[in-house]
Amino acid sequence: MTDISYPQFLDLAAGVLLLTAIGVLWRHQLAPMIRLLGLQGVALAAIVAILGIHEHKLELILVAIGLGVLRAGVLPWLTWRALGDSPAETRETRPVVNVSASLLAAAALTFLAYVVTRPLVALAPSPATSVLPVAVAVVLIGFFALVTRRRAVAQVVGFLLLDNGITATAFLAAAGVPLIVELGVSFDLLLVVLVLQVLTTRMRAVFGSSDLDELRGLHD
Amino acid sequence: MNGPALAAIAAQLVVTVAGAPLLVGLMRQVRARLEGRAGAGVGQPWRDLRKLLRRPPVTPRGTGWAFRLAPLLLVGSALVLAAIAPLVTVASPLDALADLFAVVGLLALGTVTLALAALDTGTAFGGMGASREITVLALVEPTILVAGFALSARVGSTNLAAIVTATLHDPLRVASPASLLAAAALLIVVIAETGRLPVDNPDTHLELTMIHEAMILEYAGSDLALVELAAAMRLTIMLGLLASLFVPWGIAGASLVALPLAVVIFVAKVAALGAGLGAVEVFVAKLRLFRVPELLAGSFVLALLAVASSFFLA
Amino acid sequence: MTVIGWALAAACVLAGLGVLAAVGAPGRVRPAFVGWATAGIGVAGSVAGLAALRGETFQARLPGLLPLAGVQFDLDPLGGWFVAVSGGVLAAAAVYGVGYASHGHGPDARGVQAALPMFAVTVLLVPAAGSVSTLLVLWELMALTSLLLVLAEHRQRSAVAEAGWWYAALTHVGFVAILLGLVLYATSAGGGSFADLRAAHLSPGLRGGVFVLVLVGFGSKAGLVPLHVWLPRAHAEAPAPVSAMLSAAMVNLGAYGVIRLGFDLLGGGARWWWLLVLGLGAVSALYGILQAAVAADLKRLLAYSTVENMGLVFLGLGAAGIFAASHATTLAALALSAALLHVLNHAGFKALLFTAAGSVLRATGTRDLDALGGLRSRMPVTTALFAIGALGAVALPPGNGFGSEWLLLQSLVHARPTGGMVAAVAMPVAVAVVALTAGLAVATFVKALGVGFFARPRSDAADTADEAPLTMLVPMSLLALCCALLALVPAALGRTLSRAVTAATHAPADVVGGGISLQLAGIASTVSPLLIAVLLGATVAGVAAMVRLMTARVVRRRGAALWDCGAGQPTARMQYTATSFAQPLQRVFDDVLAPETDIDVTPHAASQYLVAQVAYRARVSDRVEHALYDPVLAAARRVGRLGPVLANGSVHRYLGYGFFGVTGLLLVLAVTR
Repeated sequence: MTDISYPQFLDLAAGVLLLTAIGVLWRHQLAPMIRLLGLQGVALAAIVAILGIHEHKLELILVAIGLGVLRAGVLPWLTWRALGDSPAETRETRPVVNVSASLLAAAALTFLAYVVTRPLVALAPSPATSVLPVAVAVVLIGFFALVTRRRAVAQVVGFLLLDNGITATAFLAAAGVPLIVELGVSFDLLLVVLVLQVLTTRMRAVFGSSDLDELRGLHD
Repeated sequence: MNGPALAAIAAQLVVTVAGAPLLVGLMRQVRARLEGRAGAGVGQPWRDLRKLLRRPPVTPRGTGWAFRLAPLLLVGSALVLAAIAPLVTVASPLDALADLFAVVGLLALGTVTLALAALDTGTAFGGMGASREITVLALVEPTILVAGFALSARVGSTNLAAIVTATLHDPLRVASPASLLAAAALLIVVIAETGRLPVDNPDTHLELTMIHEAMILEYAGSDLALVELAAAMRLTIMLGLLASLFVPWGIAGASLVALPLAVVIFVAKVAALGAGLGAVEVFVAKLRLFRVPELLAGSFVLALLAVASSFFLA
Repeated sequence: MTVIGWALAAACVLAGLGVLAAVGAPGRVRPAFVGWATAGIGVAGSVAGLAALRGETFQARLPGLLPLAGVQFDLDPLGGWFVAVSGGVLAAAAVYGVGYASHGHGPDARGVQAALPMFAVTVLLVPAAGSVSTLLVLWELMALTSLLLVLAEHRQRSAVAEAGWWYAALTHVGFVAILLGLVLYATSAGGGSFADLRAAHLSPGLRGGVFVLVLVGFGSKAGLVPLHVWLPRAHAEAPAPVSAMLSAAMVNLGAYGVIRLGFDLLGGGARWWWLLVLGLGAVSALYGILQAAVAADLKRLLAYSTVENMGLVFLGLGAAGIFAASHATTLAALALSAALLHVLNHAGFKALLFTAAGSVLRATGTRDLDALGGLRSRMPVTTALFAIGALGAVALPPGNGFGSEWLLLQSLVHARPTGGMVAAVAMPVAVAVVALTAGLAVATFVKALGVGFFARPRSDAADTADEAPLTMLVPMSLLALCCALLALVPAALGRTLSRAVTAATHAPADVVGGGISLQLAGIASTVSPLLIAVLLGATVAGVAAMVRLMTARVVRRRGAALWDCGAGQPTARMQYTATSFAQPLQRVFDDVLAPETDIDVTPHAASQYLVAQVAYRARVSDRVEHALYDPVLAAARRVGRLGPVLANGSVHRYLGYGFFGVTGLLLVLAVTR
C-alpha cells in the first residue's frame, strides 16, 4: 500500500463506518439495520487491517481478521436470531425521537464529535487521528440509538454501534488496546447479545412484543 | 460575445430542448423493458408533444393570468437555465449571470409559478399538488445549499463554471468523501425536485399519490405541451448539472473544436444517468408522503456530512 | 446649516404642524392634513439620510436640556442608512394612510392622529441620536407614540387592547434593559455622549454585560424570539399604514441599536457575543417563518415574516461579528453589508405587502385567508403589487430579497479559510438555516398569493371586493418600483453600503461592487439579477411568439368547465384553503409547532358507522408564548393577589407605608455610614 492511498483508504473505511451508523437511524426495518451493522463490522475490520498493513504489524492484521469474524459475522448473526418472525416485530415503527429528528441529531452529534476531538487530533496529527472524530461520532450515534429506539433488537444494534465506535476510537487513537482487553470486551459483548436474545425471546413469550417500554409494567 | 461562445450556448439550448423529451422517452423505455413490456419507444414523448402543440389550449373557467402565464414562465426559466448552466461548455460568457444560488432560485421560480397556477384553478387537486410540491421544495432547499457549500467553499466561488473547472484541474477531488457525499445528497434532491420515484410517481393519476401531475391536471393542448417540455428540460438540466459537477470530463473549454465531442459526451452522460434512474425506479416503491421528509432529512445529513468531512480531512 | 440640518429641522417643524392639525382640524380633513404632514416628515428624513450617506456629517448639541451629555444629534452614514430607509417607508405609508382613512377606515381620533407625526419624527431621529440620554428619550417617545398607534382601533376589536398590553409590556422590558445597559456603560465611561463611550476602556466582563443588556432591549424591538410575542399581535391589529411603518421602519431600529452599540461603540467584542446574536437570529428566522407558513391570518402571516427577516438580519450581524472577531475584515464587511441591504429590501417589500394587505382588508373586511380568494379579477392592481412584494419576500431571482440573501450566503459560504473552528461549525448550519428559511418563505408566500388572491372567492365579501383608490395605489406602486429597482440593480448601492459599513466598523469596506452584475471583493462569485430578468423576459416572449406561430391555424384558446370527475362542478368550498395548504408543513414540523387539532365525528342517528358530520379544528398557537410567558403571567397574578392584603383601603395604612419607608431608609443609612 503506497503512502498516498493509505489516508484515502482510511477515509473511505471511516466514511462507511459513519454512514452505516447513520443508516441505522434512517431505517425503520430491523433487518436492514442488522445488515448495516454487519457492513459496519466489515468497515471496522478494514480500518484495523489498513492500520496494520500501514504499520507492518502482523498482530493487528490478525486482530482485524478476528474482529471481522466477530463484528461482521457472529454478532449480526446472533442479533438476527433474536429477530422474531412475526411481521409486527420486524419494524421500529415509532421511535422515541422520530426518524427525521434522529437524522438531524446524528448530524449535530457528528459536529459535536468533531469539536470535542479537535484538541486530541491536534496533539498528534496523522491520517489515523484525523478520522478520530468519525469514531467518536459513531459512539455518540450508537448511544443515541440505544436511548431512542424501542425495539430490543434495535437497541442491541445501537449498543453494538456504540461498541464498534469505541473499538475504532481505540485503534485510531492508540493503535489498539492490548489484545487481552480486546478479547475480554468482545467476550462481554457476546454475553450481552446472548442475554438480550434470551430476554427478547422471553419478553415476546410474556408480553407478545419486544418493546422495552413494556418492562415498565413490571414496576407496577 | 464571440462566435465560439454563441455556438456553445446554442448547442446547449438545442441539446436540452431536443434531447429532453428523448431522455424522458429513454427512461420510460428502460423501465418498460425491465418490466417485460415492449414500451412505446424513445421518441414517444416527442410525438406526444407534437400532437399537443397542434391543439388549442383550454382555459378552465374561473382561472386567471397566473394559470395562463405559468407554462410560458416555466419554459422560459428552463431555457434560461439551459443557456447559463455549464452543461456542454465551461467558457460560456453567460455563466457570470447566475451562480449556484441563482440557478437554484431559477429552478424554484419555475416550481413556484406552476404551484401558483395550480392554486389558481381553484380545484382540490390543484391545491393538493401545489401544497405538496411546495412542501418538498421547502425541505430540499437546505440540502442543495449545504451541498453547494461543500462544493464551493474550497473553490472560493459559487459560480458553477468555476466549480467545474476546479474539478477538472484536480480530478482527485471527485473521489474525496466530501464530493461523494455531496453527489449522493444532490442525487436525492434531483429525484425529489423532478418528481421521480420514490418521492412522486410520474406515471400515476391516483389522487392520493399525485404531486406534480395534480398541479397540471387542468392544462391541455399547447399549454400542456409547454409544461411537459419544461418538466423534461428541468430533468435534463438537473441531471446535466449533476454530471458536470461530479464527472466533468469531456466538457468543452473556450475552443469551438471540442464542442461537438463535448455535446456527444454530455448526451452520453445524461443518458447513462437517466437510464440508471429509470432502472432503479423499477425496484423501488413510492414512499408515503409523510415518509418523504425522512428521505430529505437523510439527504440533508449527507450534505452536512459532506461539509463536515471537508473539515475532518482538511 | 447643512442639508441634513435643514431637512431634520423641516421634519421637526412638520411634526409640530401635524400635531397642531391633529388637535385643531375638523374630523373629516384631519387624517389628510396629518397624513400629508407625516409624508413630508418622511421625505425630509429621506433627504437627510441620503445626504448623510453621501458623506455629509451633521452634529447638533443642546446641552443642559437633558441630564448626562444633554441632547446631542450626530448623523453618520450608518445612521443615515436607517434614516433614509425609515423616511421612504414613512412617506409612502403616510400617503397611503390618507387614502386608507378617506373611506371610513383607519383612525381619526385626535390622540391617534397627533401620535402619528410624533412617531414619524422619533423614528427618524433615533438613528441620529448622539448621546445616551437623547437615544433613551427618543426611544421611549417612539415606544409610547407607537403604542398609541397600535391601539387606534381598540374600540372596534378587543384583540387590539390585548395586543397593546403585550406590546406595552415587552417594549418596556426592552427599554429597561437598554436603560440599564446604557447607564452602566455611560457611568463606567464617564460621559454620556457617543464619543465618550467610544473612547472608554471597559473590562471585558462589563462590556459583555452591557452588550447582552442592549441586545435584549434592541432584540425585543426587532422581534427576536423569544421576545417576539408582541410583534404578530401588534402588527396584525394596528391599522394597515401603521403596520407598514412598524414592520418596515421601527423594527429596523433594533438592528440599528445592535450595530451601533456592538460594532461602533463597543468596537467589536468577543466571539461569544456574536455567536449569541447569530443563534438568536437563526432561531428567530426559522421560528418566525414556520409560524408564518401555518398562519391563516394575512397580517399575522406578514408579521411573523417580519420576525423571520429580522432574524436573517441578526444572523448577518452575528456572522459579521464573528468574522470581525477573527480579523476577517472583508468577510465582516460583506456580512454587515448583507444585513444592511436586507434591512432595506425587507423594508421595501414588507411596506408594500402590508399596504396591499390593508387594501384587501379595506375591500373585504377580513384578513382571514380562508375567506379570501379570487381577488385578482376584482382588485387586479393590488394583486399585481402584492405579487411583486411576495416575489421580494421569497428571495428568488428576480425579486429584491434575493440580492441581500445572496450576499449573506456568500459571506457564510466563504467563511472557512479565516473564521477558525467556531465559524467552521456555525457557518454550514447557518447556511442550512437560511436555506430552510428561504424554502419555507416560498411556501408562505405561495400560500398568501395563491390562496388569498387567486382561485375563486371563498366568501361574499371577497366576491364583492373593489379596487383601492389612487391615493392608496400610487404610494404602493412607488414602493413596488423601489422593490423592482433594488431587485434589478442592487450593485448600484455598493458605494453607499460601504460608507455605512465603514461608519460602523471603522475599517475600509469596499466589498460590494459591479454595475450590471453583483461582484464582491475577494470572492469570485457573481450574479446579475438584471440580466437574468431580461433573459427571462426575452425567453418568455420568444416562447409565446413561437407557440402562437405553431398554433396559428387554431383560432383562439378555448374556455371550458373545470374537470369535475363527473360529479358536478366543484364549488368554491372545495378549494384548498390556507389551512389545508399548510397542513403538510404543519405535520412535518409537528414537534416544533405542537398544533392543537381536534376532529369531532358525529355519527348518523341510524348507525354509528354512518358519519353525519365531521368537524376539524386546528389551531397553531405560539408555543414560545405558552412555554415562556404563561408561567411568568401566572406568577405575576399570584403576586397580584397579595395586593388586597397590602392595600385594604385604609388611608392611614398607605401613609404609614410611606412614613416607615422613609424612616427605614434613613435608619439603614445611619447604621451603615
